[in-house]
Amino acid sequence: MQVDIRNRPSFANLHVQLGAGDRIIAEAGAMATMSSNIEMKTRFNGGFFGGIARRFLGNESIFVNEFSASSPAELVLTQPFPGDMICTELRGNTLYLQPGAFIACEPGVRMALGLAGLRSWIAGEGLFRLKLSGSGRLWFGAYGAIFDREINGELIVDSGHLVAYEPTISINVGMAGGIFTSFFSGEGLITRVRGQGKIYMQSRSFDGLAAWTNSHLM
Amino acid sequence: MGRIAILERFEHEHEQLDAEHEKQQHRSESHVLLQRNPAMVMPASRESFQGGVFHASIPGGRSGATLSIARGELIADTISEPSMRFSIPLNQCQIDLGGASNRMVFCRTKEGDLTIFCEEKNFAKELDFQSGGMLAGPLKQLKKGLAADANRFRFWLTFSAVACALLLFLGYFGVLWTAKIAIRALPVSVDEKIGTMAFSGMEMGRKLEANHPASRLVQEIVDKLKPHASIPELKFKVTVVEDADINAFALPGGQIVVFTGLIKEAKSAEQIAGVLAHEMSHATLRHGIERVSQSLGIVAAIQIMVGDVGGLVALGAQVAQTSILTSYSRAAETEADLEGARMLNAAKIDPKAMADFFEMLKEKMGDLPDAMAWISTHPQHETRVQSIQDHQKKLPVVQYEPLQLDLKAAQEAL
Repeated sequence: MQVDIRNRPSFANLHVQLGAGDRIIAEAGAMATMSSNIEMKTRFNGGFFGGIARRFLGNESIFVNEFSASSPAELVLTQPFPGDMICTELRGNTLYLQPGAFIACEPGVRMALGLAGLRSWIAGEGLFRLKLSGSGRLWFGAYGAIFDREINGELIVDSGHLVAYEPTISINVGMAGGIFTSFFSGEGLITRVRGQGKIYMQSRSFDGLAAWTNSHLM
Repeated sequence: MGRIAILERFEHEHEQLDAEHEKQQHRSESHVLLQRNPAMVMPASRESFQGGVFHASIPGGRSGATLSIARGELIADTISEPSMRFSIPLNQCQIDLGGASNRMVFCRTKEGDLTIFCEEKNFAKELDFQSGGMLAGPLKQLKKGLAADANRFRFWLTFSAVACALLLFLGYFGVLWTAKIAIRALPVSVDEKIGTMAFSGMEMGRKLEANHPASRLVQEIVDKLKPHASIPELKFKVTVVEDADINAFALPGGQIVVFTGLIKEAKSAEQIAGVLAHEMSHATLRHGIERVSQSLGIVAAIQIMVGDVGGLVALGAQVAQTSILTSYSRAAETEADLEGARMLNAAKIDPKAMADFFEMLKEKMGDLPDAMAWISTHPQHETRVQSIQDHQKKLPVVQYEPLQLDLKAAQEAL
């Protein structure tokens, strides 16, 4: 299976070339176009209740689609907002994804919805997160460009910019500075990531877009 | 140095292992020693754990791993193909707690180039047990630190929750208070609009003609009191309505309605003047619009702040119709009593007449069930009479002049 990320970074999409017998699992609604010989099977995302939990708590679909082909075929997957996509490979390790970031993965990757905790929620990083483990490649997207950081120590990230992180990273909410600085610097609450591992960030945040749009509505 | 062993497991392919051995030794840094030790291939700890490992030699730098503890070493066999073995002697473990769950145990070499981590519950216990208590100290220390962290977090969380609730609470009353101030700043014309709208929408008995003796009597009293009103620009309009109730009420902006029942029962023109002064005070003290603002609350406050008074007027008229008659607060009634007494005094009418009227009303109360509503929201008559009399003592002493009005003629004309 050959997967290219095309039209990067603004309007990235996945161009998947399936060989005979290849399978790929994608977020429901991500398919933009596909060859007629591809068979699409829809299944609950992590079981019935898991699927419902993912839909209502994790901002992901109840269903995921499994695309398979018995002869070479082509498939294009997209995400609903402008931005880049990235591919990473799991080797028995785990990656946490923010709600809405997941696009596709190989069949060896397991998906589960996990509680991210109160701290993450207060930090504006969502109460839930998608846990991806197992082996295989996975693709996820972001709003704006994606960049990663290999952390060994501590890093401060503005809330809403964190897309994915490894379980070896701890997330703590903090103020950008003192009370005055936090309120008037426009930075407000920040996320303090600590530990060893990789984090993926997006160069734009939906909160930022919402605030900017809101300021133009009045 | 040299205590870190990377072991690759190719138990069934010995030749290949040798070749790999050579390759690995070239690849690995000097302190990473590759060993071939069959005894260490078999995990010796009773349990194995699922965790992971960070090392530069793994493609991507990281991998999931199966962990075990044997012979004083923490061993990690990577899940990814080809499987690689890493180990750290327990006496060289640099223990740390953290991760997304805050429960993940990290074991690092002194150089920090190899990290083995695990999130499983029993891992720390096993580590402690296998190290013979060597790591108990650092582990306990870390757990204490985490607990302190959690406590601090809980404290701030509670603190923020309380602060938010307080802000919300203060904000609510702040808006109400602002509404009150804003209403004070509204032009009186708004009162007038609300009053006129409410008046035209009210169902009442027949209105007496303006030249009816009773209407003329009431109008003359109002004319006498008007110069002493605290808001000079307020236009007072009095309407006498046929109704047996002993009642009168004021709408915002100076619309005053007097029921014929009140005129019939009055013992003197001064008593009517007392009631009128009381009702006019409601208008000058802007109790009506204050009442409207309380009923509309935040909606009104926002509308006033935004500047859309039109909607407020319409809403206000509606509220005025339903609530003005019965629901001035006791504080507002007392305020109107005292202001009314001041106006009477200034107009050289004895405020005692107002007190007398309430006294009379008290006596009538028993056989006037319709007046109950009016009475119920008004202060107790005794205290009322008392407070008027007390207030009168504070007012400037003037020579009272009896009203030259023919109450008898007005009563007979009804």
